[in-house]
Amino acid sequence: MKVAVILRQVPDVVEELVIADDGRTLSEEDVMYITNEGDEHALEEALLLKARHAAPVTAFGVGGEEAKDALATAVAKGADEAVFVRSTPDARGDNASLAARLAGPLKTGGYGLVLTGVHAADQLDAGLGGLLAVQLAAPYVGGLTTVHVDVAGAKAVVQKEYAGGRLGVMEVDLPAVLGVQSAEQPPRYVSVGKVTQARRTLQASELSVPSMTVPGVRARALLRPESGAHAKMLEGDADHVAAEIVALVKERGLL
Amino acid sequence: MLAQEKPVDLDRGSESDNATKAFLVRLSRLPEGTKLSACLQCGMCSGSCPLGYAMDINPRQMIAYLRAGRIDDLYRSDSIWLCVSCFNCSFRCPSGIPITDRLIAGLREELLAGGVGVPPELQAAFEKTARYGNPFGESPKKRDAWTRDAGVNIRVLGPGDSADVLWWVGCFGAYNRRNRKDTVAMARVLTALGVDFGILGTDERCSGDVRCTSQGEEGLFDALYRHNVGQLARRKFKEVLVGDPHAYNAFTKEYSRLGTPLRVKHYTQFLAERAPELRKRMKHAIPAKVTYHDACCLGRRNGEYEAPRVVLETIPGVKVVEMPRNRENALCCGGGGGANWLDSFIWERTRVPLPIQRVQEAAKTGADILAVSCPLEIPRFEDAIKTSGLEGRLRVREISDMLAEAMGLAEGRAA
Repeated sequence: MKVAVILRQVPDVVEELVIADDGRTLSEEDVMYITNEGDEHALEEALLLKARHAAPVTAFGVGGEEAKDALATAVAKGADEAVFVRSTPDARGDNASLAARLAGPLKTGGYGLVLTGVHAADQLDAGLGGLLAVQLAAPYVGGLTTVHVDVAGAKAVVQKEYAGGRLGVMEVDLPAVLGVQSAEQPPRYVSVGKVTQARRTLQASELSVPSMTVPGVRARALLRPESGAHAKMLEGDADHVAAEIVALVKERGLL
Repeated sequence: MLAQEKPVDLDRGSESDNATKAFLVRLSRLPEGTKLSACLQCGMCSGSCPLGYAMDINPRQMIAYLRAGRIDDLYRSDSIWLCVSCFNCSFRCPSGIPITDRLIAGLREELLAGGVGVPPELQAAFEKTARYGNPFGESPKKRDAWTRDAGVNIRVLGPGDSADVLWWVGCFGAYNRRNRKDTVAMARVLTALGVDFGILGTDERCSGDVRCTSQGEEGLFDALYRHNVGQLARRKFKEVLVGDPHAYNAFTKEYSRLGTPLRVKHYTQFLAERAPELRKRMKHAIPAKVTYHDACCLGRRNGEYEAPRVVLETIPGVKVVEMPRNRENALCCGGGGGANWLDSFIWERTRVPLPIQRVQEAAKTGADILAVSCPLEIPRFEDAIKTSGLEGRLRVREISDMLAEAMGLAEGRAA
């Protein structure tokens, strides 16, 4: 059984996000990309499946050039094949279009499982997993914390977390698309030396399917959060502060 | 106490033997790496290790295991991650074996390369350092944000700029809220002394010592080294001033080994040279009993014991008292070699944190202030003072901060 995992590049919020002049996208000069956290967990789960079932893992890195770094890291961690899916900044977050682009290679690749993070930090239109499942006419279940595949590779038993500390155990027919909430163990560490080596020797094929416009959701405007009322600090000695409080209470008719 | 001998796994014997040989060859190529063969098995290393009692395989035994071709047993041991880089073993070894810098770091490198058994806290610090250039995961663009609160003008040296002194602020000094007041204090002292200095600002990254050279993340160290050296080469300066003894170590030992010799001074050395001038500038007394904690990285690792004491003695009112374990015998704060990110891992295996032992030693001298010269010790000892109920009795202070107060430079500074 082969496993595919989708690694999306999303804006890193450690850096301040700057809205571009068009008012609809992020300023490319200021944005720094990072692999979507949920997708890192999907990769970890895929590597666990590889360890258990000798399942070859193909990583699809979606984004600009920085997606190649994510692919090198994935290969350094143990992924067997890397596919670079070039995505322009205006197509970011558009999972409907991404699902349509990935449908072909995922079908022909003969994957028993397609794993993604259950959601991405920048998505406009619900989870990629569900949209991919529609394209592949395969079952989808998301919010998973455990994936076990039977020996024959015909079905998977998955665990899903619900609110209130409830856990669901489900059986899914394969091939299937799964949305990973968190892997069974934290994403593994790979040393910088190994990543550097993988970057030098990376043999990633590039997806030839171009970006496409599909019926979906598009960002009309990006806006900074509006700050609400600011707190006013009263300063000075106790008498002064007390007098100010009394004046404010009277002025605002609070008594 | 001797660890229980494990039976030799005969099936894996030759595989482990080969891995051991490969490891020893790699080690022998590093400076002083060949000294490992001179081990007398005297056990000085393990007896002087502050956490040796908690190790299932102590440093002496590690060398014995390697001689027996049993590196696999070392991979399975937690002991490798218990080292806090205090340098007691390296300092006392009669054969001069670089146990901390080569043996432990080498074993950690092996484990990191295999992705096996790396404690998650440390893993996060590595990942953040690789991505952001600091272990806190803060924005690299905010590295010079502290200068806005400094109250004095701080020159950020751009490419082509020059200054007499390039001040290496360091990650803790630049980002950590509890260290920033000391960074500002240092900036004010340098300004008051009329030193022509500048910083790298957002072009500075982790020097690489704390988490890398003694942690085994050589690839990460290499990336940081190349970045920093590239930035340093674009500025002109006569010497580098550092606040963090770990950066001091990285620059003096590793950067020079790799072909970048730098003239480096720890800030206490820089200021001790100017002690007469400091004395003239004193405005306020700090009437207090002060005990100084020798940072392992400045003391045992780099032999500087006097400079911090010289600077403390320029402050009127200060009476320096010594803890019984001082200078080369000082007890470690437990934060070196990446152990700052291994606190819970170590606590689970020892239950008596080193910083708590150390603040109790400090309190026993009757001191009001525990003076330090390494930024890691501020948060470590502040926390230890709180957990051991010494709050109100003992305060931990960076020497630069005490100096700024005595020189009348503390006004208007955010606490």
